[in-house]
Amino acid sequence: MRTSLLLLASVAVLGGCTSKDSGSAAGTGATGGTVIMPTPGDAVEVFPPFVNDQIGRWVQDMVFERLADLKTGLVTVGDKGFAPRLATKWTWAPDSLSIAFSLDPRARWHDGKPVTANDVRYSFKVFSDPKVGSPTAPNITNIDSISVRDSLTPVAWFKKRTPEQFYDLAYQLMIMPEHVYGSIPADQLHTSPATRKLIGSGPFKLVAWEPGTRIEFIADTANYRGRPSLDRVIMTPTDAATGATQILAGQADFMVAFPVDQVPKLESSPVARSMVDPQLGYTFMAMNPHLAKSMTAPNPVFADIRVRRALSMAVDRVAMLHNVFGNTGLLAHGPFPMTAGYADSTLRVPPFDTTAAKALLDSAGWRAGSNGMRAKDGRPLRFSLMLPSTSLFRRRYGVLLQEQFRKIGAQVDLDVVDSPTTIRREQEHDWEAVLQTPGTDPSITGSKQFWGSGAIGANGQNFIPYSNHKVDVLLDSAASAFDPAKAKDAASRAFQTIIDDVPAIWLYDVTFSYGVNRRITIPAPTLDGWWMNLQSWSIPADKRIPRDRIGLAAAKP
Amino acid sequence: MRRQLAARLAQSLIVVIIVTTISFFVIRSAPGDPFSYESSTITPAIRQHWREQFGYDKPLPTQFVRYVVSVAHGELGYSFQMHEPVSEALATAVPRTLLLTGISLALSFVIGVIIGVLQATHSGGWFDRLSSAVLLFFYSLPDFWGALMILLMFAYWWPVLPAGNIVDPVLHGYMGGWDAFVDRARHLVLPVLSFTLLTMAGITRYQRAAMLETLPMDFIRTARAKGLSERRIIWRHALRNALTPMVALLGLMLPALLGGALFVEKVFAWPGMGLLAAGAIAARDYDLVTATVIVGSVMVVIGNLLADLLHLAIDPRVRE
Repeated sequence: MRTSLLLLASVAVLGGCTSKDSGSAAGTGATGGTVIMPTPGDAVEVFPPFVNDQIGRWVQDMVFERLADLKTGLVTVGDKGFAPRLATKWTWAPDSLSIAFSLDPRARWHDGKPVTANDVRYSFKVFSDPKVGSPTAPNITNIDSISVRDSLTPVAWFKKRTPEQFYDLAYQLMIMPEHVYGSIPADQLHTSPATRKLIGSGPFKLVAWEPGTRIEFIADTANYRGRPSLDRVIMTPTDAATGATQILAGQADFMVAFPVDQVPKLESSPVARSMVDPQLGYTFMAMNPHLAKSMTAPNPVFADIRVRRALSMAVDRVAMLHNVFGNTGLLAHGPFPMTAGYADSTLRVPPFDTTAAKALLDSAGWRAGSNGMRAKDGRPLRFSLMLPSTSLFRRRYGVLLQEQFRKIGAQVDLDVVDSPTTIRREQEHDWEAVLQTPGTDPSITGSKQFWGSGAIGANGQNFIPYSNHKVDVLLDSAASAFDPAKAKDAASRAFQTIIDDVPAIWLYDVTFSYGVNRRITIPAPTLDGWWMNLQSWSIPADKRIPRDRIGLAAAKP
Repeated sequence: MRRQLAARLAQSLIVVIIVTTISFFVIRSAPGDPFSYESSTITPAIRQHWREQFGYDKPLPTQFVRYVVSVAHGELGYSFQMHEPVSEALATAVPRTLLLTGISLALSFVIGVIIGVLQATHSGGWFDRLSSAVLLFFYSLPDFWGALMILLMFAYWWPVLPAGNIVDPVLHGYMGGWDAFVDRARHLVLPVLSFTLLTMAGITRYQRAAMLETLPMDFIRTARAKGLSERRIIWRHALRNALTPMVALLGLMLPALLGGALFVEKVFAWPGMGLLAAGAIAARDYDLVTATVIVGSVMVVIGNLLADLLHLAIDPRVRE
């Protein structure tokens, strides 16, 4: 009891003495509050040119800003789907080969220095420098250069006019301060301690990153777009079961990927509630048309489209979805997430029909033996399905798929491996079937990087490898159409062609089930991520608890 | 004696070098590398660029020579997982694990030895049977599940203690000295309780067996004939004799101080050596994996040396 009273008193005194926001310090104002987030792991990278993991992206988007933000429709063609951010407005050149951005003169870095056009030029230089090796570099190859017209006017020059040239620049490029990072040689950015101490212009400041332990942010109270309602956000890498316990016990506040089987406990919890949020990702079972470790020799099972189609028809996707996700899952409709602006839920995927599936296998020469398992010319209908051990959902799907394929006479060997092994074997084409979840960006170009023939090999993500000239043409048409409706139509035809070729079985769209403390008010999540409107989260004054009343004072080291 | 110790140290050094060399090659022979994490935005070309930048594309012998030279200069390399030099990552994680497992192991031995002695002196009685059944229950629990049950019991069903982390992630930095101490102690209770309960049973069984072997010996009968009190006979004469196998057990368990707490660290989000090593292996964080193996093998060496020294201290026959 004494400890609690002392603690409350010291917190109140500290907050009262040091916070710039008296309301926050007293815990009665419009601003204030601390959100603790158990996360499934730590950030792999936080310096924007290297960020490619989920948690790193959260950190990046809380601390740094883009020139413009995607609006809720996630339309990436032209600039109509964008809202001003660091740039208050932009002006296209008559030939559309350059865009002049007007930076917000109020914008400041977290160290107080103004955001300038030089910073935009520097950011492009870093992202595109081959010595840096940024994963974003392939997405900004159409940007030729960025020049500085005056301190608040960077001008982006493009190599050619494309529908998504604005998106390439405004969305892909995070703006970083040259005066902080400019002196670090490009090939040392990866290991420089300076790139762990982020200075951005976003709504939150990174105050501590203790790898494996915590990432702590506080509100940037001097932010030119207004300070966030919350004072503090702390992410702690935590095991899923422990994180769920912390949420249910009120010791933590927000958990992404709350364990699905624990969600019913949230419904009856007086402390926490659940929220479901679809993401820009989808999961499918890819089937390798070639023999393992070969790019030419046909796979005796998957080279035949009739077998691929039969396997697809053997799968009760709806039942599996309910089995794994309960009522919170979203069915995949093809090679795209339904959250993308170009998604189309009317496309025809092979229906669930085991009778037709068996007939197709019969016609392909795969006959059932006395034990019900099929074979052709003495070769059993058998293949291995590679699953990453780190994904609970994919492991569960693997078991369900194994059982469903068994019912039509196909034997599946589950091959559970860790993540680095998955990546390595995909690169070396050492797999037969794999459950894959690509996180895609909102643009059609993102689809080209996964399903286009040009993405086969070292510079793309098309590891299957899937190739269809018609799809390439249609995706090119979609990516080069300036009319969003025409782009969507071409994309739909490309996706239908891919679905008809059955390179994969479309299983589910990625959704997050969040566990949220009931004292937190969260506006409707945006499609590009829950963290994009974190600055609008709030905790009403009458619901605040001791940890909400710390204010903005720095902790003792 | 000194020559023996020096020879032992020399042998130990060779063991550490061999183990380090093996781990260096084994981890690099596993599929993947530090840049093989799952991400749909990194092309194979970019991964290759990073491999070249950090020398992971070089032949293994070349990498090994580089590593040996680096270690000889006192540098254990760079951790891509922790984004800091390996030595700094270890300097943060090792004390955390030593705090957790050191307290747990001390408690396990003290309580385990006491219960083992009481079981042996009341062999076949109700205390012996009841405590054996209870300890066998804890011993039979799968480690991870046992820790999880303890977490649920005291952090969710009866929420009196924090569910994980080494300190309160928010308030600790604002606490005064005493409050900070209490906060740290509260966060220690559940992981220490889990680790202690799950390791104590084995120690108790060893101690009970050793005591049962000692109690019928001649020198105990002589002590009784000389009229010594039963308490003095058991706790001074018999226990001292029966502690010899426990010293060997301590030597074996000491390395577990760093590696054996993985399940506790995982369940209670305790960022120590176990989690560090497991994460490093999963992420193919080569330098960190090799460094944790070096630390582990050094702990084995220290454990064995310590056991030898303790053996010398409590058993006069060895000194002679």
